[in-house]
Amino acid sequence: MSALANEALAYADALHNLARYLTGNESDAEDLVQETYARALRSAHQFAPGTNLKAWLFRILRNTFLSSYRRQRHNPTVGGLDTVDAQSQGAAPSDWLLGDIELDRLRKVVAEEIEAALMTLSEEARTVILLDLEGLTEVEVAEVVGCAVGTVKSRLARARATLRQKLRDYAR
Amino acid sequence: MSCDSVRIRLLDYQQGRLPLDAQSEVRAHLDGCPACARVGAVEHELTWVLEHRLPQHPASLALKRRLAARWSATAARRSWWSRGRPSLVPALAAAAVVLVAIPLVSHQRTASRLASERAAVVAEAVNDHLRVLSSQHPLDVESGGLHQVKPWFAGRLDFAPAVTFAGDADFPLKGGSVGYFRDRKAAVLVYARRLHPISLLMFRAEGLAWPASDLTRLDGVEPHATAERGFNVIVWRRGELGYALVSDVDAVELKQLAAKIVGGS
Repeated sequence: MSALANEALAYADALHNLARYLTGNESDAEDLVQETYARALRSAHQFAPGTNLKAWLFRILRNTFLSSYRRQRHNPTVGGLDTVDAQSQGAAPSDWLLGDIELDRLRKVVAEEIEAALMTLSEEARTVILLDLEGLTEVEVAEVVGCAVGTVKSRLARARATLRQKLRDYAR
Repeated sequence: MSCDSVRIRLLDYQQGRLPLDAQSEVRAHLDGCPACARVGAVEHELTWVLEHRLPQHPASLALKRRLAARWSATAARRSWWSRGRPSLVPALAAAAVVLVAIPLVSHQRTASRLASERAAVVAEAVNDHLRVLSSQHPLDVESGGLHQVKPWFAGRLDFAPAVTFAGDADFPLKGGSVGYFRDRKAAVLVYARRLHPISLLMFRAEGLAWPASDLTRLDGVEPHATAERGFNVIVWRRGELGYALVSDVDAVELKQLAAKIVGGS
């Protein structure tokens, strides 16, 4: 078996993790991953050697989610990050001076709370946070979500600020 | 650099994504601006919480088996494959055949998981080194020599860090701290090479997958060297402990330090 095939198989866990956080449930996540691999095989000729296979698979997964699942199924946060209202978005630069109290609250956050907080974010916000955690560069994230690198940077900053605000609320 | 400019760049700074001059500018600003330093500490903590506490949802074994079966069925349809990319598609077909063969499913599953986990070991080592670099207080104990640093770890770890290399003129020991490597505590020793910090992480190796060794065997251990995100990384295992050496110093110099640590431990 080639190294490339091994690499593609090795990303099943990462793809499923993103799918689980996009769809919000195990059944839809598994369907999404299966459809992602099916589409990847059908369009394998479009994969450019030397480029990032992981990012390519993530892009297929997200596009599949956007084209199929979000239209069909309930999603708690329809609408992009940029359309979320200012109050839920929170954390304007002037609010960043939260200091030691926020730090202390963050340290007390447990797994269930951070998962719940992440799931309240928009699909775009969840995606950029999770792709960043997966170690993708901003250029690769931009390719996955189909926007400019600068947009990724600002979306990630806003997503993290919103998440911090949600976690602050959980920790109270 | 203004506070707004620094805060926009904080995440890039903490992840080592800024050019060197910008990295230095942000560091200098943080050293002199308590407000921005606090914001930086909060961002750092959020990254830690996401990396260590956010639940992960890996694919189930049943899903992986279904994926394999579907690929196998697809492989039988020659028209699909003939349109596919030559080097990728037959390889995936081969992978599918291997995966659905019951006696070999376990082996393949393990190989995929191990490949992912091995990459994760290296990635975590680099992340931990970046945390050391971006921390406001990277060293909990300043070095007056290894005889001062090692006792400091007593009671702070659930293992005894096994290292005896106390630093020398080429690689002075700067100090140590307690960190985390994935889900477990780690002893962090910081050496230096000229102005470059070098992190040595020591942690319990149980349950972690290790990259295949590709360096000359060193005094009973088989190190693996690689590079990730601009940092050179050497990992090895000895007994129950895992070791990761990370820095932006030259790969040859990092290997020299690894040899000294392995030889002395």
